[in-house]
Amino acid sequence: MKKKTKYALISVASLIVFIAVWQFLSTSGILSARKLPPPSKLFNTFIYKLQNKKPDGSMLGTHIWISLQEALYGFALGMVIGVPLGISMAWFDKFDKFFKPLFDIIKPIPPVGWVPIMITFFGIGMMSKVSVIFIASVIPAIINSYSGIKQTKDVHLWVAQTFGASRMKMLFTIAIPSAGPMIFTGARVALNGSWVSLVAAELIASTKGLGYMIQTARLIGRIDIVFVGVLVIGLFGAMLMGLLTFIEKKFVKGGRR
Amino acid sequence: MKQRLMSKNARDTLVYGILGIISFLLVWQLACLFTNFGRIFPTPGESFRALMLAFVEPIGKYTIVGHIATSLRRVLIGYVLSSVCGIFLGLLMGYSEMANAILFPIFSIIRPIPGIAWIPLAILWIGIGESTIYFIIFMGGFSQMVMNTIDGAQQVNRELVGVAKVLGIRRHQLFGRILLPSAVPYIFTGLQTSLSTSWMAVLAAEMITATEGVGWLILSGMQTGRVVNNVIGMLSIGGVGLILASLLREAERRLCIWSVRS
Repeated sequence: MKKKTKYALISVASLIVFIAVWQFLSTSGILSARKLPPPSKLFNTFIYKLQNKKPDGSMLGTHIWISLQEALYGFALGMVIGVPLGISMAWFDKFDKFFKPLFDIIKPIPPVGWVPIMITFFGIGMMSKVSVIFIASVIPAIINSYSGIKQTKDVHLWVAQTFGASRMKMLFTIAIPSAGPMIFTGARVALNGSWVSLVAAELIASTKGLGYMIQTARLIGRIDIVFVGVLVIGLFGAMLMGLLTFIEKKFVKGGRR
Repeated sequence: MKQRLMSKNARDTLVYGILGIISFLLVWQLACLFTNFGRIFPTPGESFRALMLAFVEPIGKYTIVGHIATSLRRVLIGYVLSSVCGIFLGLLMGYSEMANAILFPIFSIIRPIPGIAWIPLAILWIGIGESTIYFIIFMGGFSQMVMNTIDGAQQVNRELVGVAKVLGIRRHQLFGRILLPSAVPYIFTGLQTSLSTSWMAVLAAEMITATEGVGWLILSGMQTGRVVNNVIGMLSIGGVGLILASLLREAERRLCIWSVRS
């Protein structure tokens, strides 16, 4: 226990030293503040952006809200379609054989690659982002629920068969519950992918959102806003993952501790 | 009897697979013929012809082979750098509690930031050019590499370490004989995920800053309204991604014989 507190103290100290050195380097002029603004400046910019629409047309809160909405719509749609599709591919042999080669072609294309096509179809509004994120999350959802169902223990199925369970009953009472942890792993990968491709899609073409904010700030050379935006993107990415882990711990049996 | 069953299964796989692809192409073709979709989107035949043509006629600076080679070179440089640094940092943090206590808080600020989000910062720092693209690819794979290596280093079987110590192993031997081999399977998992994020990062970087490469090819398709370029770009990305992933899986199978994972 004592060892733990020692290391925790070291961690806190390390973080403080890191920020202090950063502050010192950029205020003293050793590193140009135009390339690396000091933490105090970043904090001020953060507060400023919370209340002001300049220079990119929306407050920070609006950008965050738009990005979250796009990410979560796309993610939810991907899960709702991907999980049942993966499950049926794993459970019904013919279905599997029909979709597998097609899926194998689409699978290795990174979601970012879909951005231009989606923009051509849907314009630069919300719809194109949601569809890119849909692709980013539907693929891991399919892969993971597929392998989750495939890993069902044969013994369990044999027991069910012996007691005269139908195929459908076996699917819903054995295969799907035991695939739960794998499906959640899929959700985790999907959520991560959603957030990454959201940023990419917004960087390439958009009028609102966090990616748009840092892109515009870059174009006018406001590196402090870029920094704030990048940190906020990281923070919200981590928060979304934390939320998912919380839900998983609460509802799925036999997953990670 | 069993053999006949097997061959029936194989035949089914083939038949249904081909049916699947044919029906996809058919839907694509029909959509092009009968809906508005066809006004902006090429038919399967047109796309195929354009793909073949791209091998001989240059689009922008290079033919499609040149674009793929450019992107591959960039990925490889960024990926190798990020893997080496990531494995080093991960091993350091995994073995030494002290290093972990010092570095982890700082690392955990960087970790959740997607590689792609570094693009604007990288451009402001380094400008537009090759090194920016390497940097973005580097950041894309780096944190995954570190996390996987830490996991692997901490996952080592304590009993093995205990036995080795009882038998009088030296500290540097412990690292080479026990700790490192048990971390390697995790490192390989890291290498795989990081390769696919690197491939994604190069696309995004090329879409935003480059004038050649597969990412540029796709984006130019959008900007000039030649959706065909878009489609062939995506086909080549998918193909290359598939080849890279299977190469790495094969390498793991051969190099990592002590790993029991499937």
